[in-house]
Amino acid sequence: MNCLYIFSVRSLRLCGGISRFDVLPPRRREHRENAEEKAKRLFLVLTVWLSTVVLLTTSSFGGQKPPVRRTANATIDYSKFSHSTKKHQGECNSCHKIPTSGWQKTSSYPDIIDFPGHDACVSCHRSQFFKGPRPVICSVCHTKTSPRDAARYAFRNPASRLQFAIEFPHDRHQDVIALLNRSSSTQSVRAFSHASWFTDDKTQTYNNCAICHTQRSVPAAPASGWPDGFQPKSETFKSVPSGHDSCFNCHWKAQQPIATNCVGCHKLAPAPALGFTAPIRISLKFMHDGGGEKKVHIAECTTCHINITKSATLRGLKPDVPITSCTECHNREGLRQDVTKELAAIDKNKTFVCVYCHTSNVGSLDPPSSHYLIAERPPLKRKEIK
Amino acid sequence: MTRRSTRLSIAAASQLLLLTLVFSFTASTSSQTQSSSTRPTGVLRLRVRVKIDEATKGLSRKRFYLIKGTLEQNTPVLEAAKERGVTSRDCFYSKIGASQALIDWLRAGDCESIYCREVDQEFINGPKAVPEFASAYAAGQKEFGTGDVGRKWLSTNLSADLRDGFYQQRRTALQLLIKQAEALSGAQVLSVMTDRNGTAYFTDLEPGTYVLTNLLATEVGQSAASWNCEVQIKPGDIATEKPYQVSNRKDKNVKCVAVEKPLPACVK
Repeated sequence: MNCLYIFSVRSLRLCGGISRFDVLPPRRREHRENAEEKAKRLFLVLTVWLSTVVLLTTSSFGGQKPPVRRTANATIDYSKFSHSTKKHQGECNSCHKIPTSGWQKTSSYPDIIDFPGHDACVSCHRSQFFKGPRPVICSVCHTKTSPRDAARYAFRNPASRLQFAIEFPHDRHQDVIALLNRSSSTQSVRAFSHASWFTDDKTQTYNNCAICHTQRSVPAAPASGWPDGFQPKSETFKSVPSGHDSCFNCHWKAQQPIATNCVGCHKLAPAPALGFTAPIRISLKFMHDGGGEKKVHIAECTTCHINITKSATLRGLKPDVPITSCTECHNREGLRQDVTKELAAIDKNKTFVCVYCHTSNVGSLDPPSSHYLIAERPPLKRKEIK
Repeated sequence: MTRRSTRLSIAAASQLLLLTLVFSFTASTSSQTQSSSTRPTGVLRLRVRVKIDEATKGLSRKRFYLIKGTLEQNTPVLEAAKERGVTSRDCFYSKIGASQALIDWLRAGDCESIYCREVDQEFINGPKAVPEFASAYAAGQKEFGTGDVGRKWLSTNLSADLRDGFYQQRRTALQLLIKQAEALSGAQVLSVMTDRNGTAYFTDLEPGTYVLTNLLATEVGQSAASWNCEVQIKPGDIATEKPYQVSNRKDKNVKCVAVEKPLPACVK
């Protein structure tokens, strides 16, 4: 007898034992059996269907995968160190000494320049530490697992995956370096490639985005190569901080989060990630420094990166440069008509590739409606052009 | 129909009903997600210009807030903001016992905090030396063993009040007001800072009525300026047309005019 009846407690009685049903005359019994069989079949189909739907729904709408449990018998790979291990989540300075003693030898400022000392590992991993002639645990820090060779990887090892994400509130940093509007002195503007905003005789150096974002060296090409073989110049991109130098100058010991408060900035990432490699840009031909015919882009960072001053976190942060930032100069009556001209070229030839700002991977797509809005025209798809 | 098949039919009907509920919930969730990603939003482009003495310029590096609702709905917050007294930057530093040289250094750069610009060597020793900087530099030299780090990391050897006390004082007051506004309007208070030209953008705004405000009065020349204006955000407006002009002087193009008051006398 079928025991799938889950909606009626009374129907559970049908799962076993004798019921009044068993003592009916044969014909009525056959009739009832048929009716019941039909209902049962329908019931079974619906149950399977419902289970499938519920399973699919929970997996596709925010359902989380069950955590992978490490069984007690699983082999631990001691050549891999992870901060996600519970026992590796103690106070940071229980392993990392801040600053590392002898920082003067390799750093121009007090910093954490090396792996923690042996005692940080031995305190828990004595058995792994003294296992055989070449203990595998040594390879976390050392390039060779030999008692005669103390050589270590660079700290942090650039080849290893990043275990932490950085928390940086742009909004608070913008606020704290704010200016008053005391006087109406003659202040003329310089390109935002410079930290200064003023060009009077006595240049004052103001703290701004350039503390952390300076001109970067020529970036390495992405794995798939640069689109159209277009190699961007070093003036194209800005760098992002890769060390503590632009943080510790204020956050060393008094202004929180201070140097010993690592978690103030370093948040354990959900999964280790590869470091930042090649920058991604929609308008690859735009250069921050020295761009354009006048060899200068005159603006300060927040003029184009309009959402940066309200950003309290780096998570989900996008460059957020609206087309209007470009077209204030590049599509202005009597000045330039770069967007309008290329849109007109598409009208004549629907395979035309926009090349003024873009490489072909972007320039061959349908221009977004914002571009048409700038050119004061209704949006158009390439396939609609005859 | 027998009683048993009736029971089975009822059970089947119950399952069908449950299925319908699951489907309708799923459908509503996905349609909500879809509608939130494609909903028409608006943009508010601010251009803030102020007249100080005879010159007009963009009000740079000032934060403006956008609170959901009308002026009337937000009256309690705006009244609370008005009741908070204004302490000028000079007055604040004077009250905490900063040297005149430090006040002058801040004033020369229009800085609200010592983080505003780098401290040059001439302000550490020599005729222009700022005593607070000199002692912080000496402590840094002792600590780091190198003069350059001592100068660049000078702020790490200054007291909290001298470092950013003025900013922290305003921040505490602002946070209370923002919390009050969010509780009142039931929506997040948005904020942006103006750039060098006094331009700022609020993006991805739900259409409706908002109050544009600076919450705490801003020092503009020798006066304290407060802006509290009602703004309508239209769906699909991406602010390619004229910006929303904000100023401390009336003009036919200015849509939001400040209420200005002279900075209060500094009582130590």
